[in-house]
Amino acid sequence: MVIISILSNKFRVFLTSLGIIIGSLTIILVVGIGKAGETAVSEQYSRLSVESITIAKTKGMGQSSTSTEILLKDDAMNMAEVLTYVKSVGVSTRVVADIGTNGVSSAITIQGINEEYADITRLEVVHGDMFTNEDSLMRNKYVVLGSNVADSLFDGDPAGAVGEKVMIKGSTFEVVGVLDSVGGSGGISTSQADSGSVDDMAFIPYDVAVKYTSGTVSRSSSSGNQLTYVALADDIGNVEMAVAEIKDYIQETIGTDAAYTVTDAGNVLESAQATAKTLSSLLLAVAVIVLAVSGIGIMNVLMVAVQERTREIGILKSIGASRKTIMTEFLLEAAMISVFGGILGALLSLGAPWIFSMSTIAYEPSLGGIALGMGFSVATGIFFGFYPAAKASGLEPITALNYE
Amino acid sequence: MEPLIEFKNINKTFGREPNLVHALKDVSFKIYPGEFVAILGPSGSGKTTLMNIVGLIDKPDDGGLYIDGLNMGDKPDKVYSKLRNQKIGFVFQKFNLISKYDALYNVALPLLHRGKSYKEAKEAAAITLDRVGLENRHHHKPNELSGGQQQRVAIARALVGESPLILADEPTGALDKKTGGEILDLFEDLNGQGKTIVMITHDLDIASKAKRIIRVDDGRIFED
Repeated sequence: MVIISILSNKFRVFLTSLGIIIGSLTIILVVGIGKAGETAVSEQYSRLSVESITIAKTKGMGQSSTSTEILLKDDAMNMAEVLTYVKSVGVSTRVVADIGTNGVSSAITIQGINEEYADITRLEVVHGDMFTNEDSLMRNKYVVLGSNVADSLFDGDPAGAVGEKVMIKGSTFEVVGVLDSVGGSGGISTSQADSGSVDDMAFIPYDVAVKYTSGTVSRSSSSGNQLTYVALADDIGNVEMAVAEIKDYIQETIGTDAAYTVTDAGNVLESAQATAKTLSSLLLAVAVIVLAVSGIGIMNVLMVAVQERTREIGILKSIGASRKTIMTEFLLEAAMISVFGGILGALLSLGAPWIFSMSTIAYEPSLGGIALGMGFSVATGIFFGFYPAAKASGLEPITALNYE
Repeated sequence: MEPLIEFKNINKTFGREPNLVHALKDVSFKIYPGEFVAILGPSGSGKTTLMNIVGLIDKPDDGGLYIDGLNMGDKPDKVYSKLRNQKIGFVFQKFNLISKYDALYNVALPLLHRGKSYKEAKEAAAITLDRVGLENRHHHKPNELSGGQQQRVAIARALVGESPLILADEPTGALDKKTGGEILDLFEDLNGQGKTIVMITHDLDIASKAKRIIRVDDGRIFED
């Protein structure tokens, strides 16, 4: 009986399902986007040591702060000696400059770093080697390329890049290493002023950078360029104390600790994850609202059906259909509309990876999302089908039979 | 012998003062298995109300209603639907077939609601349709059948569950005289085969086909 009455108005069933289709599709997409976001966050930070502490110029203060409020490299390096809980300190100076071979050239972020920086931020070299602090002192013009940079400069042959020459700001550099691809967009630390993936960067020894690309940073002549530091706490349990020590040290050295933001990796990771979670819960709430609206649609259609079929219900009751049978029939009908919508939504979601691949939104299909989307659809159908079903089954047979 | 139907001082009213209609006033009677009873009365006399109460699709305000010895007074809805399904076959003046289903499915419905399998119900429905003379109309929908044929489908639906009691509310009311006569002959045959038949009519000629007539007027009954 159920099947026949549903099929008797296919178009209406389709219209009713449309809300459910969109609702379940939205839930599945939202879960996929949220999951991709969380994966990106954890991938992005998987390379960051939990003992690491980022010391970056406070955002928004870069221009307004006076030139004396700059933590110079030597002062920062000194922290490893004078502070109890700080084991080592890495430094990075960055500029955007052209890098090129004979054929190709493009503007990318070039970071001048010391060995400690590479260690603490876990830059992993897959081809060749990372340069050393020796190289820095000797002003060896070595460069380590991010994987995307190596790919584009050397026609998709990153391994072949090692030993080759590239031009940076008019000087010739030798490629000594190529980094492992990390994906994502955050790079090493989101608290760095202009973050990007290390895949799209190149790294040269710090002193070489000072000489050839970024120039010297001093309190008397600020070039606008900023230094970013990473410190490594001696133990995971001492991270908080190390952060406090560093803040005190900055206060003493430059007279204010507000000019720099000191963040430990755990903190950065937590807040990034929290942001990703907030975003997905927000989207999920939207999806639930869509479903609730479509549920009201189902209720409306079923109420019309109860009215249209009042006489039929009366006939069925007069030949012995029980309250339970009629209730079940209407609930099943609601469930079928919503299952149909849920399945169609899930099928449509299979096309999502293809659609999202053409945009910048990361999407990760998941069975959990499909289950959630379909589960919610069916629950919506049954919840909103309940009232019409109760109304239909509660009709007195004689009232129903006499209904015109 | 125990009566199949027993009314004990049943009252039924509709509406509220000052528009209160006293449809049945202190009605008592018994109908025994195998009887063919006509309930005769003018429109507004309360005969349809009486029939609806017998058919368990309406409930009395007070008084005792016994079906097959069972006091219906305190029974839950579930018992009512079960008895409607197993003890009673209803034939309505306007046939009350479900228009989107064919004859066979309409007749199979009571068995499906009894929990029979689709196949069993359809087989029984086919046999019953043959029995009322609709061998060639199994897959016709109600709007493809004549009035007389539709009423035969309705009778088949009342018969298919082997219910002992057939209730017919003006079964010939929507039919011409000849077709109506054929339907009445069918009821006589069924009574001959042992069915108890209770038929409502306002027409004395039709009522005289029955073996017993109960007259209803202004909510009261008068036995012949």
